[in-house]
Amino acid sequence: MMKTWISLPLIFLLIFLPFFLSQYWLHVMIISLFYVMMASSWNLIAGYTGQISFAHAAFAGVGAYVSGMLAVNIGIPPWLGIFVGTFVASLLGVGLGYLCIRMGGIYLSLTTLGFSEILRIIITNEDRWTRGTMGLQIPGFFTEYSKMSYYFLFLIVSAVFLFILYRLIHSEMGLSFRAVLNDELAAASSGIDTIRVRILAFTISSAMAGMAGGLYGHYLMLITPDIPSLGQMFLVLAMAVIGGMGSFIGPILGAFVLEVLSEYIRIYGEYHVLLFGLVALGVARFAPEGMVGVIKKRWKVKESP
Amino acid sequence: MSRRILEGKGVAKSFGGLMALRQIDFVLEEGEIVGLIGPNGAGKTTLFNVVSGVYPPDRGELFFDGRLISSLKPYQICRLGIGRTFQIVRPFLKMTCLENILISLIGRGERGKTLEEKKKEAREFLEFVGLRNRENSLAKDLTLIEKKRLEVARALATKPKLLLLDEVLAGLNPSEILQALELIHVIRTQMKITIFWIEHVMGAIMKASDRIIVLDQGEKIKEGKPEEIVSDPRVIEAYLGESNA
Ligand SMILES: Nc1ncnc2c1ncn2[C@@H]1O[C@H](COP(=O)(O)OP(=O)(O)OP(=O)(O)O)[C@@H](O)[C@H]1O
Ligand SMILES: [Mg+2]
Repeated sequence: MMKTWISLPLIFLLIFLPFFLSQYWLHVMIISLFYVMMASSWNLIAGYTGQISFAHAAFAGVGAYVSGMLAVNIGIPPWLGIFVGTFVASLLGVGLGYLCIRMGGIYLSLTTLGFSEILRIIITNEDRWTRGTMGLQIPGFFTEYSKMSYYFLFLIVSAVFLFILYRLIHSEMGLSFRAVLNDELAAASSGIDTIRVRILAFTISSAMAGMAGGLYGHYLMLITPDIPSLGQMFLVLAMAVIGGMGSFIGPILGAFVLEVLSEYIRIYGEYHVLLFGLVALGVARFAPEGMVGVIKKRWKVKESP
Repeated sequence: MSRRILEGKGVAKSFGGLMALRQIDFVLEEGEIVGLIGPNGAGKTTLFNVVSGVYPPDRGELFFDGRLISSLKPYQICRLGIGRTFQIVRPFLKMTCLENILISLIGRGERGKTLEEKKKEAREFLEFVGLRNRENSLAKDLTLIEKKRLEVARALATKPKLLLLDEVLAGLNPSEILQALELIHVIRTQMKITIFWIEHVMGAIMKASDRIIVLDQGEKIKEGKPEEIVSDPRVIEAYLGESNA
C-alpha cells in the first residue's frame, strides 16, 4: 500500500518532469540516472554480499571503451556495442571474481583496487587506441542529438536494472546473498555454495556496471580515463553508503542527492568527491543504514508518539 | 547388522603444533545415537568440524554412506546428508527465523519447488522446535534457548541422514533439558535420523545414547555402552584430571 502511494506519483514525476527542465537540469538528471545504475548495482555486491569491490567504475570503463572503440574502429553501432561491452565486463567480472573472492575481505578490496588502477593506466597509456587523457570521440545513440531521448533511454534502462535487482534481492538467490553476508560458514553448513553465490553476485553487478558505462560513454560522446577512475569509484561508493547500503532505495536516493549536490559544490573546485568521501566515512561510522535508516527511524517515531 | 553410515579411519588434525586429533578411528551405524564426550579441549568440536568439512583432516579418511567425503566442501557434505549445529550458535542474525530455515531448504538445491512451498515447509520445522510464533522475529532478537532451537531446526531442515549436535543442552534448565531430550527422541525414532552428539550434561547423554565415544587430548581413550563408560578408570581419570587442573 505505502509503496504504491509513493511510487505512482514518483513515476508520473519522472515521466513528465523532463518537459519542464532546462537542458542543463536534464543533463543533471541523465547523469543522476547513470549513478542510480552504478550505485544500485554496486550495492548488490557490497550491501547484500558484503564484498567491498573497487572495480565497479573500472567495469563501467570497460563497457564504455569496448563499445566506443568498436564503434570508432569497425563501425559497430552503439546499440550493439553496449551489449558487447556488457559481455566483456561480465567476463572480466567472472575472472576477477574467481581470482579474489576466495580470498575475501580486504584482499578482495585490494585486488579490485589494483585491477582498477591497472585498467586506468592501460587506457591512459595506450593512446594509439584510446587517445589517452585527450579522450576518444565516439558516436551517440541517436542520429539527431536530443537530451530528451537520452533521458528516456536512461530512465528505461535504470527501471529495468532496478526491476532485475528487486526481483533478485527478493528471490531465493537474494536470501542466499544475505545468508552469506550474515555468516559465511553457517551458510556453507546449510548447503549454500557460498563461492558460487558470491561470484554470481559479482558477475551480475559487473555486467550492470559495464552496460551503465556504455550508455554513459555514448551519451557524453567523449570518453576519458576518468570513467574508470578511483574518483568515480569513490563517488559511487559514497552514494551507496550515504543513501543506505543494503537497502533497495538507499543507493537510488544517494545517487540523486549527491549528483544534484555536486552540481552546486562543483563551482568551488573538484573537492566534492573528497567531501563526500569524508561524509560517507562519518555515515558508515555513525549511521550505517544511511539516509534510508535515518528516515525510517523518524517515520517510526512519528507513527507511534 | 546394520549399515555403516559414518566411518573415520586414522583421522588426524593439528593446529600449528597442537594435535587436536591424533589418528582417530570410529564408526557410526545407521539409526544409532552416539555420544561424544571428553574434557574441555579434547577435540570433540574439531572432530565435528572435520566431518562437516569446515577443514579437511591432515591425515586419514572419512566415509559417509560408503562415500569418501574428506576432501569435500561443507556445502557438498551438507547436501549429501550431514546436518550440524554449532557449539556457539551461528544463526543468520539479521534474518528472520523463517528466512533462517529457508536457507537450509534452498541449500538442498532441490528443483521444482516454489518459494511459497518452501516457506510452508519451513514453518513446519519452526513448529517442530516450538518457534512458530517467532517466525517473523529477527534471529538476533531471540533468547539463547530460542537460538539453540533455531539452530537445531536449521540443521533438520537440510534433511540430514546424520545429525551432528554440539552441546545443544548446555545452558538449559532441567525441564528444558527434558523437552530437548524428547525432541531428540522424535528426531531419531520418527525422522529416522542417526545422531552423533557432544554433551557435557552427563546424565542426559548417558541415558539417551546407545554408545559413547570418549576423547581426551585428541585421542579416543574409550568406546562402549554408557554403563561401561561410567565405570572405566581411564575415563574417570581424564575427567578428574580436568577438575584438578
Ligand atoms: N581453529 C582453531 N585454531 C587453533 N586451535 C584450535 C582451533 N579449533 C580448536 N583448537 C584447539 O584444539 C583443541 C581442541 O579444541 P575443540 O574445540 O575441538 O575441543 P572440545 O573438545 O570441543 O572442547 P569443549 O568441550 O571446550 O568445547 C583445543 O586446544 C583448541 O584450543
Ligand atoms: Mg567443543
